[in-house]
Amino acid sequence: MREAHVYLGVAILVALVPLVGPDPYTVHVLTLCLLYAALSSSWNLVSGYAGLFSFGHQAFFGLGAYVSALLAMKAGVAPWLGLVIGGGAAGAAGLLIALPCLGLRAPPYVAIATLGFAEICRFITMNLVGLTRGELGLGGIPEMPAVHLPLFGTLSFGARGLPYFYLILVIYVGVMAVLYRLVRSPLGLALKAVRDSQDAAESLGVNVKRTKLIVFGLSSVIAGVTGAFYAHYVLILTPSSVFSVPIMVEIVAMTLIGGLGTFVGPSVGAFAVTLLLEYLRVLGDYRLLIYGTLLIVLILLMPAGVVRRILGQRVS
Amino acid sequence: MTGALIVEQLFNGLVSGAIYALMASGLSLIWGTLKMLNFAHGEFYMLGGYGVYLGLTLGGLSPLVAVPLAVLGAALVGMLVERLIIHRLLDKPGWDESPVIATLGVSILLQNLVLHILGERFQNVPYYVEGGLSVYGMRMAWQRVLIVAAAIVVVAATVAVLKSTRWGMAVRATAQDRDSAMLAGINVYAVYLWTFGVTAALAALAGAMLSPIYSVNPWMGTALLLKAFIVCVVGGLGSLGGAILGGILLGTAESLTVLLWASEWKDVVAFLILILVLWFRPAGLMGSRQW
Repeated sequence: MREAHVYLGVAILVALVPLVGPDPYTVHVLTLCLLYAALSSSWNLVSGYAGLFSFGHQAFFGLGAYVSALLAMKAGVAPWLGLVIGGGAAGAAGLLIALPCLGLRAPPYVAIATLGFAEICRFITMNLVGLTRGELGLGGIPEMPAVHLPLFGTLSFGARGLPYFYLILVIYVGVMAVLYRLVRSPLGLALKAVRDSQDAAESLGVNVKRTKLIVFGLSSVIAGVTGAFYAHYVLILTPSSVFSVPIMVEIVAMTLIGGLGTFVGPSVGAFAVTLLLEYLRVLGDYRLLIYGTLLIVLILLMPAGVVRRILGQRVS
Repeated sequence: MTGALIVEQLFNGLVSGAIYALMASGLSLIWGTLKMLNFAHGEFYMLGGYGVYLGLTLGGLSPLVAVPLAVLGAALVGMLVERLIIHRLLDKPGWDESPVIATLGVSILLQNLVLHILGERFQNVPYYVEGGLSVYGMRMAWQRVLIVAAAIVVVAATVAVLKSTRWGMAVRATAQDRDSAMLAGINVYAVYLWTFGVTAALAALAGAMLSPIYSVNPWMGTALLLKAFIVCVVGGLGSLGGAILGGILLGTAESLTVLLWASEWKDVVAFLILILVLWFRPAGLMGSRQW
């Protein structure tokens, strides 16, 4: 339980940060950090714990975003419900694509099959101009409606303000709590067994297919919820902003730099990479040049990630 | 729709297929020997295109000199990447995934390096040979015929080298079983280095040949890399025959989609083929079960 206290403490500290320096830009950057932390952690569940190296996680993020945004705009569904439906739609899509992937044993096949699925989603969103307006962008997405909380009073979501930060913090803490329990549950142990040796796990009676399906579905749900949050946060979507490969590259970079298959690694990586990318903006045109170089240097120095470098090889 | 139009489209599909096969055979060779995915492969294609652009327009060289120079230059960059980065990650913890980030980093670095030095403008490269072939009312530009011919010659040469030279045998031994290859006295680290050089050269050749048809720009490798990955997997990763078959299959399917439907849906068809093939043949068309 001591570990759990540490996480709780960190979460409270993060929650207090915007109160100390309520500069809107800092709040925005921290919101992005938490969003990517939740997204990377959900990807880590599939690739780090279940050993299914998916390269199409952006599909579920984008589906959650577009489903929630379109429902709110065309059917007047409340964005709060949109978070749930967006997550559900992404989860259903996750199960759909996981099915053909389960027969694939080699990591590259899973990576490329999921990447292909994500690209299909991107092209369909791009081509259905009547519904999504394609690359012109889907604008005018409604903000999160105000909520009345008993202790805090009314929380109204203005343009990218503090309430969004607290909402993503709640989502992030919820995601981490679910993952924390899952990793320590019998299912989590089965997962580790499958990752270490699929044959051995199968011979001991682990239902490999069912385990992988549950995990893939859950991970897609989380990605969908963060996507739906993103839609009602930035208020404009384009296929290339939510479905494109660069998002996947960032998720992979964050998770691997933090530490694949470690509980806190993806969060550490998400904060590191997001802050790096944001504050490298001062370098102007040289930003991506430095970013590429830093990725290479970091992976050369810590091929198994920051967390393992600090806490030792056996951390999980 | 006339017969000539259909044959023309099929020929264009063959041209794309030849390029896909060149790219995919490189990815497949790297997977075969190093068991890693090279996300920087598209950038060697881009370097090939820019190499030829620089040689032809700034250097005033003939294509006969510019193309080999561009290919050689990209091969050197590929070997440098292997020696400076990939070699240092080998056998370390995290090797299963660390090359993904390393090669993604190389890809971002090379794209932005070229962007800085040469600018973001799309640059045109003149055709190597003007004019075209005209048979029964069908027109095929010589440049396209040249692409197919070059791809056939180079892929055939690669297969021959792999099958019958000592170096080729060393590569195949390393791919089959690295430890046994080392025990037999094969310097697998040299094999890795040369594999990177050769595959970068194949990608650069594809870029050099195709650059007169599409213009060159720093991001030209990205979309093609995705296609090359599909081709590899559809054909069966690690299988050269699979890469060739997959390349031609995908090129033809794309041109048929353009002909019968609309060009904006050709990528959707490409990715659907990928998922269907994997559903029914999880190891790809010509892949072995072990992967």
